[in-house]
Amino acid sequence: MSKRGLRLVALTIVVMIAATLWILPGSGVQAQAKKYRVGLVYDVGGRGDLSFNDMAYAGLARAQKQFGARIETRDLEPTAGGENREELLRLLAGEKFDLIFGIGFLFTDSVTRVSKDFRNVKFGIIDGFIPDQPNVASLLFKEHEGSFLVGAAAGLKTKTNRVGFVGGMKIPLIERFEAGFIAGATHVNPRVQVFSEYAGTTGEAFRDPVKGKELALAEYDRGADIIYHASGGTGIGVFEAAVVKKRMAIGVDADQSLTVKPDQRRQILTSMMKRVDVAVFQTISGMINGKYKAGVETFGLKENGVGYAVNEFNRSRIRDIVPRLEALKRDIIAGKIKVPEDKKQLAEFVKKVKR
Amino acid sequence: MKWRLFALQFATPLLAILFGVLIASIIVLAIGQNPLDVFGVLIRFGLLRSDSLLSILFKATPLIFAGLAVALSFRAALWNIGVEGQFYIGAFTAAYIGFTLKGLPIFIHLPLTILAAAAGGMAWALIPIVLKLRRGAHEVITTIMMNYIAAALILYLIADVFRDPSQVGTPRVRTPEFPPSARVPSMGPLLELFGLTGPDANKVNWLLPFGLVLCVVFAIVLSRTRFGYEVRAVAFSPLAAEAAGIPNARIQFLMFMLSGAVAGLVGLNDVLGFFGYLDIDFPKGLGFLGISVALLAKNNPLGVILAALLFGFLDRGAQGVQFFARTPKEVIVILQALIILAIVVAYELMTRYVRKQRKREAERPPPAATVAAEAGR
Repeated sequence: MSKRGLRLVALTIVVMIAATLWILPGSGVQAQAKKYRVGLVYDVGGRGDLSFNDMAYAGLARAQKQFGARIETRDLEPTAGGENREELLRLLAGEKFDLIFGIGFLFTDSVTRVSKDFRNVKFGIIDGFIPDQPNVASLLFKEHEGSFLVGAAAGLKTKTNRVGFVGGMKIPLIERFEAGFIAGATHVNPRVQVFSEYAGTTGEAFRDPVKGKELALAEYDRGADIIYHASGGTGIGVFEAAVVKKRMAIGVDADQSLTVKPDQRRQILTSMMKRVDVAVFQTISGMINGKYKAGVETFGLKENGVGYAVNEFNRSRIRDIVPRLEALKRDIIAGKIKVPEDKKQLAEFVKKVKR
Repeated sequence: MKWRLFALQFATPLLAILFGVLIASIIVLAIGQNPLDVFGVLIRFGLLRSDSLLSILFKATPLIFAGLAVALSFRAALWNIGVEGQFYIGAFTAAYIGFTLKGLPIFIHLPLTILAAAAGGMAWALIPIVLKLRRGAHEVITTIMMNYIAAALILYLIADVFRDPSQVGTPRVRTPEFPPSARVPSMGPLLELFGLTGPDANKVNWLLPFGLVLCVVFAIVLSRTRFGYEVRAVAFSPLAAEAAGIPNARIQFLMFMLSGAVAGLVGLNDVLGFFGYLDIDFPKGLGFLGISVALLAKNNPLGVILAALLFGFLDRGAQGVQFFARTPKEVIVILQALIILAIVVAYELMTRYVRKQRKREAERPPPAATVAAEAGR
């Protein structure tokens, strides 16, 4: 018996040595001809969230397609809680990547630290504000401009003259969506009344569909017939409420008509698109053409960074208002309409409209 | 005869790991990748880079505390599933002492902060153990419920009561920053003597040696003291212990409190050692990982160290596998779990086999002394 045991031990050792020999000599990455290396680390949720992260991936994929052999792209997902996002950034930087994206404001501290340790690497952060690093581009969006257009769509389409807004976490970023939406609705329809609710004050507020459904149901019960959400995963609950009440909802970030379930799709009037893909793609192409610029860059209607979604599902539904929305868009780009960004500017805007 | 068994026993963990790797290889083959490439990257990236080794040490530090906390309760036949909640509360009490007290020298402030963490963990462990000993409420249920309460409570405390006023209006939800006197110093300067520098070296802090010492102390206490003997007696046979005059309830209470105190320290590695503030986004789930660590270590405090290092290695290695071998993250998570599961199962089987062999060896020529020694185990 013990002989068998001994043989087992010997076998183990042989196998382990063989495995070690196989593993040791190779080298991790082959040296490649000089090409630009672009890395990207997703926000919590990772690929497949059908909005924010997938939009970032779309930008990366478009760059890969466009520049082909001139660039090499890698996208990495952090652990479920996002604890290792900084290590992943550091890993990319250590592997001599030329441009690295952090997707989401949660990357603010990590990108700041890593960018200080890797001065010759360029960074891009979506939604994060890091104005003072010479190698970080902060890519921000004029969410209020896009929200203004979907607000106008709601103001034109409402039959009850009541519309609703459901926000995720109550922070200035989300309040920009709210301000733009209310401004747009009142601009085209001064008699409109807008209900506003937020799901919470923490990050949890972006992944709480139960709360989202509750808030949306309450707003529909108060007579709203169109609700715009800016609440990430919480918005799934808003769409569920729209199906239950057979009323309309407006999506956010991605073209959500294309990403939700078919029964919810019918209830989606349009979506406020935040073109994370455009920001990612333009930053990459900027770097390749030697025009990468650190500092704050904002993407608004003019830069095609925000907008409203038209697709095969809602085309017939919003056909009648598209000319009006396009006119508003031109006015905003031309500076004839100044879309409010916060509560204070909104109050002035509304006062002017109602006068 | 004897040395063969000894060799077999020595090879047990190696065989267990090999078995885990074999099982995981099937999954890797199933997704169309070469297992040798994947494990090659795992080893090369995880063990042959200094930044990886340092990262493993940093990742293992909280797991040492978490594994030790769970092991301490398991040793007293108690199931502390509440390490997660106890560590939240400990992290918060530490943060509270960290940012409210100012102007103290580090040799007063830091110990106070660490004591506060232990006290927080103990306070959260107190309710389940009192309910258990006084009313017979099962601690698995109560500690799980306490986890939920702790999670909601500290979200409330961080976001609504003690939120850093300078961060209001930004998306950052966190407590004010602590002064340097409440932070655990980095081991960076010491590591520099060995030629290890950079941010990864600076992340490793003095909580690591503290955790190691704690493990050694508990290993000695549990195996070499009267108290340790009493704990074993209570866990092995409460009735016999009671008959021998060992106060069951008191021993269980003490061990659970110790478990809670150690649990309170789990979050310090990140909160005091790295961030310097308690963010709403701080690492979670370490308490539950601690259960796996303790089980893998068979509740041995010294084994906890090895198990925590293995978890740290798998965690770090996973990044390399995602990066260099381009294995999808979801598959990596499955691999990690499979390796650990296979190790636990294989280890158990091997130990049983060795024990049986030993018994047979002992039975063959029965010298009275060996039999007596076996029976005494």
